Amino acid sequence: MQAVQGSEDVKKVKDVIQTVLKARKILRMYPENNPIYVNTLEECYNKFRDFFYYQDDLVLTVKQNEIIYHGEQVYYSAEKEDNLAVFFFKDGLREISFKKGLQPEELEAFLKIISLDFNRDVLDDDIVTLFWERDFQKIQYVVDDVVLSDDEDYEERAVAEAKEESAGDDNILKAYEDAFKETEELTDVLIVPLTDKDLQSLLKELDDDNADKTPKLIQILFEMIFLSESAEDFEDLLDFFKNAIEYIAGRGEIHLLVQTQSRLQGIVEDAANADIVRKFARKVMMFAGSEQIIIILGEVLDSGQESEEKIFEDFIKYLDRSAIVPLMKVLGELKSIHARKFVIDALVFLGTKDISLLAKGLTDTRWYVVRNIIYILRKIGDKRAVDYLLKTVRHGDVRVKKEVIRALGELGGGGVLQALRDCLDDTDAQVRSASLKALCNMGSEASKRIILNKVNDKVFKDKEFEEKKEFFEALPRWKDEEIYNFLIATVKQNVFFGRSKNYENRACAAGALGILGRKDALPILQKLRNDGNKLLREAVLLAVKRIMHDAQ
Amino acid sequence: MHNSDDVALNTIARDVVNQISVILRTAQIHDPNNVAVSSLIEKLSSMINSLIAMERTITLELRGDFFYINDSRIRYTLEYLLNFDYLAREFKKRVVGGIVFKERTTAAELTTFVRVFNASGGAQRPFETIEENLLDVNSFSIERLRIIVENDTLEPRKMVKKTYFNAVSFTKGVINKIKSGEKVNIRKAKRVVESMVDQVLEQEQWLLGMTAIKDYDEYTYHHSVNVSILSIALGQRLGLNRKMLTELGIVAIFHDIGKMEIPYEVLNKPTNFTDDEWNLVRKHPVWGVKALLKLKKLDDVTIKSAIVSFEHHLNYDISGYPILRKKIELDFFSRIISLADQYDAMTSSRVYSRVPLAPDKALSIMMERANAQLDPLLIKFFINMVGVFPIGTLVMMNTRELGLVYESNQLFGSRPRVMVIIDKEGTRVKGSVVDLIEKNEQGDYLRTIIRTMDPNKYKISLAEYLL
Ligand SMILES: [Fe+2]
Ligand SMILES: [Fe+2]
Repeated sequence: MQAVQGSEDVKKVKDVIQTVLKARKILRMYPENNPIYVNTLEECYNKFRDFFYYQDDLVLTVKQNEIIYHGEQVYYSAEKEDNLAVFFFKDGLREISFKKGLQPEELEAFLKIISLDFNRDVLDDDIVTLFWERDFQKIQYVVDDVVLSDDEDYEERAVAEAKEESAGDDNILKAYEDAFKETEELTDVLIVPLTDKDLQSLLKELDDDNADKTPKLIQILFEMIFLSESAEDFEDLLDFFKNAIEYIAGRGEIHLLVQTQSRLQGIVEDAANADIVRKFARKVMMFAGSEQIIIILGEVLDSGQESEEKIFEDFIKYLDRSAIVPLMKVLGELKSIHARKFVIDALVFLGTKDISLLAKGLTDTRWYVVRNIIYILRKIGDKRAVDYLLKTVRHGDVRVKKEVIRALGELGGGGVLQALRDCLDDTDAQVRSASLKALCNMGSEASKRIILNKVNDKVFKDKEFEEKKEFFEALPRWKDEEIYNFLIATVKQNVFFGRSKNYENRACAAGALGILGRKDALPILQKLRNDGNKLLREAVLLAVKRIMHDAQ
Repeated sequence: MHNSDDVALNTIARDVVNQISVILRTAQIHDPNNVAVSSLIEKLSSMINSLIAMERTITLELRGDFFYINDSRIRYTLEYLLNFDYLAREFKKRVVGGIVFKERTTAAELTTFVRVFNASGGAQRPFETIEENLLDVNSFSIERLRIIVENDTLEPRKMVKKTYFNAVSFTKGVINKIKSGEKVNIRKAKRVVESMVDQVLEQEQWLLGMTAIKDYDEYTYHHSVNVSILSIALGQRLGLNRKMLTELGIVAIFHDIGKMEIPYEVLNKPTNFTDDEWNLVRKHPVWGVKALLKLKKLDDVTIKSAIVSFEHHLNYDISGYPILRKKIELDFFSRIISLADQYDAMTSSRVYSRVPLAPDKALSIMMERANAQLDPLLIKFFINMVGVFPIGTLVMMNTRELGLVYESNQLFGSRPRVMVIIDKEGTRVKGSVVDLIEKNEQGDYLRTIIRTMDPNKYKISLAEYLL
């Protein structure tokens, strides 16, 4: 009976191991919420539970290529890869036991650990450490720490040496004699009872210790600047600073980055510092504003990590023109609007230092980058940008064209009028509209002339009504006699050919007069209130109302 | 992640121990029938009864310095430390080893216990006195304190030695690898330290005992491991969790890594350092930072190690070395490790001072340095840890026996376990271990230390006796 039960058990254990192996595969393949994952876990747990129905524990002995249960082999593999026995054995595990009462959570944690790929993943922990950190209640294990030492006989040798070293004639009997000679009494000076207050201050210490350690590291690196003695010291230290800056940037500690930059700047500016020190600080500052760091910061910004605008602005203050190109590069890769806004603000700030460098971004192949750069140039408002922008006017993307037209309109200057005039003839209605707006915004005599010429052009009447309306509505921007007279003339104009197109012009002129709001236009408009053309009639009515309203 | 029943049991058990301690203290001032006490007792009885409902029989036992419930160690956090210590001390004073609850109890029976227990403080045979007075109590009984017999413990002791030497051998390997520019496997370092953390949690005294032996050829490596052990043990008392203790232990192993740049002849010089040599030695904290930062990509442990390497010779008042430009606040780990470092250095002849100090002498010097050079709070915990008579102290007892302190007693600092090396007749003996809390029939201590002596002065080898 006993033997039968024994072989039954061995079968069951084999079964358990097979389920564990299966679970290990599944856990590697599926995410936690996948039904296959969930089912496999449940199946595995049930196997253990069934086993513990009759037994209190499942003790597995781990050998190089096999796993033994009660003297019987329950797993064997000679494979190099994916061998469960080797997997446990190589980290020193020699025995694993599962106890009755094993909970699903604990089993899952166990399976998760053994599903990790310790070869591929860059892990600082081995299986034993992960087990140890888990502090399992119902899974116990025995390890052989001999895998940790390259020198098995160390203990024996060290003990022998220590004993030999001291084997000299100890004067133990002399000590005994002396013990009675000396007369001083023993005093318990060292009893120091701990108080509740001690514990309180300790808890505070522990709390403080949770704080981030990177500021301390940076502080130490700064101290080391002044402790450096040789060129080699400075070289090493530069590497340390670089690594630390990269590390804090990667963790999004922009605040600390700013502090670092500020302290570096202080060193650079302090003439009392040795040249080599100031030069060193400058080098570190350069790195903190380098492409490498900017790219990291871009990733951090894009990851949606909370970041204060103010802090990023502070950081930008320490950048110089060399940061322009990397910032533009990052700009093209950012996904979130939030992140792009930071970079755009940075470029608006830095771009003033070198417009031509910034303008290089206009040749970027991505339309949205070009548009952002145009926006930045417009915000900077430096007329030197115009030459670069004029080259972009013929960009293939309408969205870019619109932005560049707007920028040119705001910046003004040589060549701009010409370009905008050309754009009024663009095949794309959006571009024409944008340049009309730009010209209008300029508000100069020259820009007025261009629009008026356009409106007076023979082909103008063939435009869509909506576009014509837009042109006419631009005109009241100039509240002068010329415009007034032109509008009056147009609204009154009667022709024989192309009447319907002409009515459109007249209606647009009426609308423009309404915007202009001059009362002396009222008598002329009143006359047209009963005009036979509906379009004109309605436009006139609206204009009259508007002028009356404005007059009140 | 744990079995929730076990966790619940352990939590209630922790609260029970705490509650008993609070009640006994309160009952020192108020009569047990006073509301201040009786309401506490009411609560205690319902807590115990909820345990009875879970487990039927509840054995609350004191083993060594720890309480166990039905054989599993009761875990507690720092807030409970004082109450746990108090109860353990009161139990030991009365030779009480535990209480066994066999059925549901009542407030009335518990009140009797409180009265009887507190009244027995001055009795000659306190355990028997309590037992006699509890005859009418049915729901629980008390057990006598078990004195751990040395023979039971040979196996674990071997394990401790193995862990210790493994760590030293590993440290030696690592330092040699770093010297020759090889990569170092942090996975192994973790494993080594984890074993030490386990041993500190289970067998603290023995592992501390290993740090008392100083007669090794390659002391530098032993020093690193000793500092690691002393730091872990101190950290444990400060309430750090296992993971933090591991970090602390790893960081401690590397604290002197900068010394590998100092020529061996200088470090192991039998005479005092010259000024030039001192200048060299003073550079090792910075050299350590360099070595550590070159070792590995930056991560939490590397940063902490670098910080400790830099700060471990800075005093509490920021005197010491290296000389700083700006004032810094010493890291918590640095302060712990610096204490452990000074203690181990002072008690050995190989680190800085050429004349080793007796352990108790080193402690009293450290006490003097508190406030200015050493963190006054941490040193209190440190002294509580190593005891009034640290392991390795040579002591003369009132029985005219001479011995070496073998294990300190965490609760009665002046009553350690001592290995007798000369008996009352003045003849050398082969070290039997006696416990100074043992009392005779009349309730008097069998042995008391009357004076300490410097084992180094008489070239008495701890290795001979403790290994
Ligand atoms: Fe040191
Ligand atoms: Fe040290």
